[in-house]
Order: sequence, then C-alpha cells, then structure tokens
Amino acid sequence: MITEPRIPDPDGFYAALLAAHEGRTEAQSADLNARLVLQLANQCGDQDVLLACIRAAAEEDTTTTKDSP
Amino acid sequence: MPSPNSRTRCRRDMENFAFAPAYELPVWPFTPPPELGSTKPVRHPIVIVGAGPSGLTLACDLAQRGVHAVLLDEDDTVGVRGASSRGICYAQKSLEIFERLGIYERIAAKGVTWSFGRTFSGEQEVYNFNLQANSVSRQPPFINLQQFYVEWFLVDRILELGLTDVRWKNRVTRVEQLADGVRLDVETPAGSYTIEADRLIDATGANSPIRTQLGIDAHSSRSTDRWCISDVRFKKPLPTERWTWVDAPFNEGRGVWQHLMADGVWRIDYQMPEDCDTAHISKPEVAGARLREQLGPDVEFEFVWIGPYGYRDHLLDSFRHGRVFFIGDAAHVVSPFGARGGNSGIQDAANLGWKLALVAQGKTDDALLDSYDAERQPAAKQNLQVTSRSARFLAPRSPAEHTLRRAVVALAARHPFARALVNTGRMSAANDYPPAPLLPEGARSVQNLSLRWTDGRETTLMQLLSEGTECIGLWFAPTREQAQAALDAMASLPLRLLAVGGDSGLPTLQADDRLASHLCAGDAGSLVLVRPDAYRAAALANATPEAIASAVRTVLAANERNP
Repeated sequence: MITEPRIPDPDGFYAALLAAHEGRTEAQSADLNARLVLQLANQCGDQDVLLACIRAAAEEDTTTTKDSP
Repeated sequence: MPSPNSRTRCRRDMENFAFAPAYELPVWPFTPPPELGSTKPVRHPIVIVGAGPSGLTLACDLAQRGVHAVLLDEDDTVGVRGASSRGICYAQKSLEIFERLGIYERIAAKGVTWSFGRTFSGEQEVYNFNLQANSVSRQPPFINLQQFYVEWFLVDRILELGLTDVRWKNRVTRVEQLADGVRLDVETPAGSYTIEADRLIDATGANSPIRTQLGIDAHSSRSTDRWCISDVRFKKPLPTERWTWVDAPFNEGRGVWQHLMADGVWRIDYQMPEDCDTAHISKPEVAGARLREQLGPDVEFEFVWIGPYGYRDHLLDSFRHGRVFFIGDAAHVVSPFGARGGNSGIQDAANLGWKLALVAQGKTDDALLDSYDAERQPAAKQNLQVTSRSARFLAPRSPAEHTLRRAVVALAARHPFARALVNTGRMSAANDYPPAPLLPEGARSVQNLSLRWTDGRETTLMQLLSEGTECIGLWFAPTREQAQAALDAMASLPLRLLAVGGDSGLPTLQADDRLASHLCAGDAGSLVLVRPDAYRAAALANATPEAIASAVRTVLAANERNP
C-alpha cells in the first residue's frame, strides 16, 4: 500500500469528492461511496494492495472510534 | 365495500391450483440377509451405508472395477419419501464419472442439457456466462435431472453389474470401531443381525447417525435465509438456461432461481423473508400467487411440489476415522448455490472407489486411503468457502452489505468489471488437489476428451479408464527402445502405457493439439500420468523407466513389495 502522496491536486480531488456528495441524503452518499470504492478497486487491480487497504481502513476505524470523546 | 387489496386476494383465492400426480418410483424387494440368526459375525471387506447419490456411485464404481461390496439402505426406493427431488444439477465431472460407470446415456436422454446462465437485477440482465466455452469434454457442462432418476439409474446399473450385495430395509443401529475393522448392528423387517467390515463407508447423509454415534463434531451452522421451492409445469416457452434474479420484481425484491429439469418440470426457488412463516409461504394459494405474478395472467400451470427450506453447512475435520470413511453429505454440507452438494458427494465416491479397489485387491497399502481425506477434505473446505460467499451475497446481513450489493448491481449493468462481483453461485467444478505426499505436484481433473487411435477408431479418456483399475501413462512420441525398456520394468504395476504419436510399438493415439494443450504437455518423450479417477497426477519431462515407476509408486502409495 502506497502511503506517500500521489494525487497531483489533492485539494481539487477533495473538492470534487465533496461536490459529488452535495445534496445527497446519507443513504445516497453511502451508495455513491460504495460505487466509488468498487470503481477505484478495479483501477488498482492488485489483490495484495486491495487487502492491505481494507485492513488499513478497518484499523483506522477502530483507532478513531477509540479516540473520539 | 372491499378494498382493492382484498379484491386482489379474492381473485387469487378463486384460482384453482392443480397438482400433478406424484412421481412413480421403483421399489426393490427386501430379502432376508444370510447373516440373520448366525452366531458368529460374518466379515465383509467393504460395507457402504446409505444408497443416496454418493453411496450408490461408490458401489457402482467398485462393481465396475470388479470389487464386491455390501450396500445397506434403510429404505427400499430412491429419493426421499414425501419430498420432491433434492439436487437437480449434475456437473461435467459427475457426468464424466457416470459415463465411465455406463449410465451417462440414460441421464443425457432423460435430463436437460444446459451451459448458459443469466443473472438479472430487477428487469435488467446484469451478467451471463457460457460454461461450454471452457469445455473440451464429451460431456456438457451441466445436465439437470431430478436426483431420484440418477439414483434409479445407478441402482439399475449396480444390479446389472451383479457384484454388489444390495440390502434394502436394512437399518444400521450401532457401529463399533475394532482394531482391524468395524462391527455393525443392523435391523431389518425380519430381525436384527451383526456383521463386521474391514472398512465401513458412511454415506448416510447430512444427519448421519453413524457420525453422531461416533461422537464426531461436524462444526455445523444454520443460516437464517429462507427459500421456498415450487416445482411446476407450465406451457410458457422459455429457454433452457439457468436464470437467477438477485432481486426479482415479482418476488418483493428478493432472489429467485429458475431451472428446467426432466419431464418438463421447472424448479423455481424463491427467497423468502428471514422471519417468514414457512407453513404459510408454502400453501398452494400463496405459492400460486407468487407464480402467477412471475408468469403473468394467461399461463396455465400445475404444481409438482412445493417445499420451504433453510440451509445449513457442516464440515468434518477429517473424512477418515480409523476404518470408517465419510463421503457426501455425511462428511460435508454446503448451501445449495452452485450445485456443489450432490456433485461433490459423487466426486468423493469416485476419489475413494479406485483406492478401495486397489487396497482390496492387495495391490497397494492402506496408506493410499489416507489420500482420500487429504484430497477431498480440502475440496469440501473450498466448496464451503465458495458457497458461503454466494450465500452472503444473496442474503446481505447488514445495511452496509446491502449498500455494497446495490453498488455492485448498479455498476454491473454498465461495466464488465463489476459483473465478476455479482455472485449468484459459482457453478460446481472439479476441485484441484493440493500438493501432498502422494501428489508432489498436486493434481487437477482431466476432461473426457475425444481421442482417436492411429487406425482411426474413436475412443475417449473415460473409455480408456472404464475397465480395470490402472493409471494411464500418456507418453508423447516415445521411441521403440524407450517403450520396450519401460514395458519390461513396469510389467507388475497397475499402469497402462499409451503413446501419443510416434512409432513406439505401444498402443498409439493420434497426436492431438487439444489433448496436449489440455494436459499442458506434448514435448516428445514427456509423459503425463492420469489416475483412475481422471486426475493428472504427474508430468515427467524425461520419462525414463525408473522415473515412470517411481511416479506410479508415489501416486499409488505402493512400495517395492507391492506389487
């Protein structure tokens, strides 16, 4: 899993991501995120990297949950 | 004044749902066994308990090899009393086994051949597959047929071969492991008796009383997913394809399966709500209303059977316990998606049959029988993983799983990559076997290729394997000197050497690109060793007599003494 920055325009990417979610309900946003994850997974196409990303994201979740007030 | 809803219900209530007459199944007579009243237990080399698909396949496989067995069954007919067919899809590897056992033609004539499947979401097709594309076999990817017909044809063939002591209405009440065998108490309408077996094969199915009595944990788990089968005849012309809906508009957005089997009977399997009342959803008027919704207003239909079910799974840690071997559902049960239940039981039987035959004939050691567990337990484990993943796609367990599945289905309609994620069952395929002491390279199934002798006569791999119990060495263009040296060295081994092309003096098949590419071989002088169950067990780049003999001995767990 690559953790060094690779996105050429991080702010632009993030803005586009937010824009895509604008005006959507929570459920519609969840649907969009799910479609996005699957599309990005196919762009990656590397099983080991995909599994590493899933693990890393799941760990992130337990860390943040623990830290939150 | 009635509401629109109750009017609809009234109209449906008024429709008559006809039932077809029950299938007429054969009944075989009970014959009092010779051991009744004998004081000293008689010893039999092989006793099989349970005349379902796996037990019958094993008895037939042994008989085909000239090996006697006793087959005990508590019933005197095929199928399950009061139920319709269980399994309906027979996969290519099973069909190839049936070809070798001599019942394939009957199955093909009675059943429905198919290879094409479509998956729908709502009204839209999201995915399809054609299993014929990867096939080089004489047998098709699948034939659908009611399970009791397969059992019936196997019984007929077993009786025709005449080597099996088939005992109907013989129920095993107790088993006891001995140091060198198993003792069984058996109950019959004419009284009880005790026999002993060198080896006992438990093919009594999912609720095996033998497994329970021996205290073997099956690690079972039960799903909350509920389905209801409607076996039905109707006149609407539909293609003989496997159709599945992830979320059918005519089933309140739940899954539906649609398959044709013999006698013009469609199996339509509806996914039901988890907490449904199974008695209610299987009432003819309720099942009929579902079917009416699916078929439209003008299609006449009659029910053959309606049956609700839940599924479960289990897997034994080991398929061999001393002198007892577990095959089929007694050893493993998986969810029905992908037709991996009955097919793997049939393939268990074909894996064990030739090994039991060689051991019973004194041609090798008992160690060969350990490889049954070493090969089929991992196969069952793989089937369990594959079917559990299908089951989970079809019955999401949380809002997040529903969200992800919605995303898969939405993308699949437009993008090929997402179609690979749509999982309405991965169809049964012959499992590869992992590398093991008797299989240093691992093994994979060889399909039933059409072959031709050099004089033009046709044959097939299954025909070559259908007599006796030998490995086949397919030797690509050996020289005369090589062939003669090998024949001299191999005379006592259960091996049949065949040449593919060349001028060696061996029985010779025409050189064939399809054969070479299917075997991943073909260089002059190389040899592929095919086991009696049509698994490619070894490939030798340089087939010296020593290398061939050593490979055969490894595969058969034979040492210099035997043979």
